Amino acid sequence: MLNYLLRRTLLMIPTLFGITLVVFAVMAASPGGLTVSTLVDGMNLDPEGRQALEDYYNRRYGLDQPAPVQYLRWLNNISPIGFERQADGTLGGFSLWKGVDLGTSFRYGRPVTALIAERLPITLLLNLLSIPLVYGAAIAIGVQAARSHGGRFDVASNLVLLALWSVPTMLAGVLFIGFFASEQYWRWFPTGGVGRREALDQTWLPWFAGFSDVLLLMAAVALVLGVLVWAAVRAPDAVRCPVFLLLGALLGYGMAADLQGLVPGILHVVLAVIGATLLAGIARLPGTALRLALVVPLAIGVGTGLARWAGAEFIQGGYLLDRVWHLVLPVIALSYGGLAFLAKLTRTSLLENLAADYARTARAKGVDEETVLWRHVFRNSLLPLITVSATLLPSLLAGSVIVESIFSINGMGKLAVEAVQMRDRELVLSITLVSGLLTLAGYLLADIAYAMADPRVSYE
Amino acid sequence: MSDAGSQRLSRSWSREVAAAVLRRSGARIGLVWVTLLVVVATFAPFIANTHPLYMVVEGRASSPALANLQALDWVWLAGFVLGVLALLLKGKVWLRLAGWLAGVGIAAAVAYSSVSPPLLTVYEQYREMERDGRIETIVRAPIPYSAKDYLRDYGDTGMEPPVAGNERHHWFGTEENGADVASRMIHAARIALGIGFIATGIALLIGTLIGGLMGYFSGVIDIIGMRLVEIFEAIPTLFLLLTFVAFFGRSIYMMMVIIGITSWSGYARYVRAEFLKLREQDFVQAAVACGLPLPSILFRHMLPNGMAPLLVAASFGVASAILAEATLSFLGLGLVDDPSWGQLLNQAVQSSSFNWWLAVFPGGAIFCTVFAYNLIGEALRDAVDPHTQRRMDS
Repeated sequence: MLNYLLRRTLLMIPTLFGITLVVFAVMAASPGGLTVSTLVDGMNLDPEGRQALEDYYNRRYGLDQPAPVQYLRWLNNISPIGFERQADGTLGGFSLWKGVDLGTSFRYGRPVTALIAERLPITLLLNLLSIPLVYGAAIAIGVQAARSHGGRFDVASNLVLLALWSVPTMLAGVLFIGFFASEQYWRWFPTGGVGRREALDQTWLPWFAGFSDVLLLMAAVALVLGVLVWAAVRAPDAVRCPVFLLLGALLGYGMAADLQGLVPGILHVVLAVIGATLLAGIARLPGTALRLALVVPLAIGVGTGLARWAGAEFIQGGYLLDRVWHLVLPVIALSYGGLAFLAKLTRTSLLENLAADYARTARAKGVDEETVLWRHVFRNSLLPLITVSATLLPSLLAGSVIVESIFSINGMGKLAVEAVQMRDRELVLSITLVSGLLTLAGYLLADIAYAMADPRVSYE
Repeated sequence: MSDAGSQRLSRSWSREVAAAVLRRSGARIGLVWVTLLVVVATFAPFIANTHPLYMVVEGRASSPALANLQALDWVWLAGFVLGVLALLLKGKVWLRLAGWLAGVGIAAAVAYSSVSPPLLTVYEQYREMERDGRIETIVRAPIPYSAKDYLRDYGDTGMEPPVAGNERHHWFGTEENGADVASRMIHAARIALGIGFIATGIALLIGTLIGGLMGYFSGVIDIIGMRLVEIFEAIPTLFLLLTFVAFFGRSIYMMMVIIGITSWSGYARYVRAEFLKLREQDFVQAAVACGLPLPSILFRHMLPNGMAPLLVAASFGVASAILAEATLSFLGLGLVDDPSWGQLLNQAVQSSSFNWWLAVFPGGAIFCTVFAYNLIGEALRDAVDPHTQRRMDS
């Protein structure tokens, strides 16, 4: 295993080399090429001053040298083994431990390492929140769909998932911001960023005005949670559907009233019908786990809203709540596409395994369907999920480019867009390197996980 | 003999697949939407145009819409007519496809050398003439605004919600420069369709070539090729696209090429896997033993047998190419003046206001198109997948 790991890690080096070479070649071969003109453009300078400034920047960043030399210098700078770089730009003696230097960004005039260290955690936070969400929900939906193969839920979920997969991330993001964050409609969420400045100075947990407020909040949440969870888990269909229908209609009406007052209008009717349909849909979902997963966040939201309406007051939201509040929309926008894809994959893979010979043998032995599903088929069906997890990370990283620019989150994705727009050689190459490294690490992790999940696979 | 036999067999198989695809209602809906888009894109100058289709001024009849048709418009029209002809005619699929491509090429050559519409278009003149009462008869397009008609003669234009209730009538509102959103969306359908097909075609070509060589020769070529595939897969496509577009201008043809170049790796993988399987088979061995030249073995004998997964991947590929263009335009790296759905969507959230009509209509168009291609792709996958039949029986 160690041998394999070592070999794979070493094989990464030529790939990373190739990736940066491709990106560098694109930059160098483009009309205009590598210039600092974007830095100088905005300034109000006379021609000589402009020329002098450009010359200065060119010398400073080594842009006056031919492109291959620039690339080789960059390679030398990032590799821990190579020639040391002197302060005046010339190369010094050969060293085995000179350390990695990603250079200085043209645009920001700061070390690239510092920029990336600032931005990477935010993107990783978004992605690490999305991945478990995606996998959990996808497996739940996929199992349910495979169970009711050919049934109503299977057909409906198949169509809905394909539709979800086709919704462009930017459309979802724009609609979220437009309807749930802008001034014109419901201002439930902030329009951008990952947190407010004030929240940094606040306590970790929310801070209430008084003990009665805490009680009120807890009572409201517990009440709503209790009713809804009971309805979702224990109540018979005949009770659950009307309860959810009524709640949906009420919520829809409340949303309309928020915008246009309590007097009923067209909007009230439309939203009430939409709310009722949505919640009735939840009520009719087969499988308690699915219903519960949808009902609990809804209940917490409604309960909190109820408590606020009844007069419970936060003095401070606190750091944690502020973060969660900011991240809800971006994480949803980032994860629904992968969720749809993975849920469909789970379903296909489960169906394939349920029809396999070993599953039939198990049934013939008299094993009941639940045990066949969970003990025999489930683990085998996870293998394709592990395989695609390698490609999920790159696609999430790409998705975060869009999500970050819509929600104005200062992460790696936004940095990447700015870098290519400013033709910032150092920054573009370093971001390529980092995202390539992350992607390759994802591939490696997926392969290791595959070996762990499937005893037939070994890398000895 | 074997050639004729395989030809007949492969045609009946492709018929079967087509029938199986058409049986699925999802695929039918998808095909209807794509056909609608093709029709709208082809006849865009007759559906949304400031130039009247027909007018009589001071006793002289003219058709400014026809006179102002660009060479590209004629190519689209010729392509549409030839396409309908190719669908109606009988014959081998590839022959009809080749004939269509040749026809479009000739039409393009003729159009670009002979059509010379007025270079300067003054959209305001017709409205002014009408205000002055000089026009006797006029037949306007259903949407009387061109995509780049910014309605400068009105002076007060800007963002306007749909059917705002003034003298002008914009079904889908206007965008930030005052142009009609519905008209821009109709003209943008061309960009979406063109990018989808041509970019995917380029990606297919590169992927098939590299993947085929990798699968056929294996060994060293395979190792090098797989590294290349890995390299292109490990750079997030969107990031590579961004780099390409930011550094190489923003013409539509450039974008097609760029999206093609960045998305071939998946096809190469599929073709490689198929060819690795196929090259052990007897008919390939026989072709090699006959001393057939390499291109013939690769593309006449092996490729038709490995088409199925490629077609499925391509139909999802069209969807993702359209999405890629929309994303680039959304991020502000798309075409500058030409209409595009993503660019309209970008204007939906401005600094402080949310213009719902710019999110719902262009976003809806992107969604519907991508959804349509995905529906078709899924039906195609089910149709060519032998497992589906088994699963349906069990």
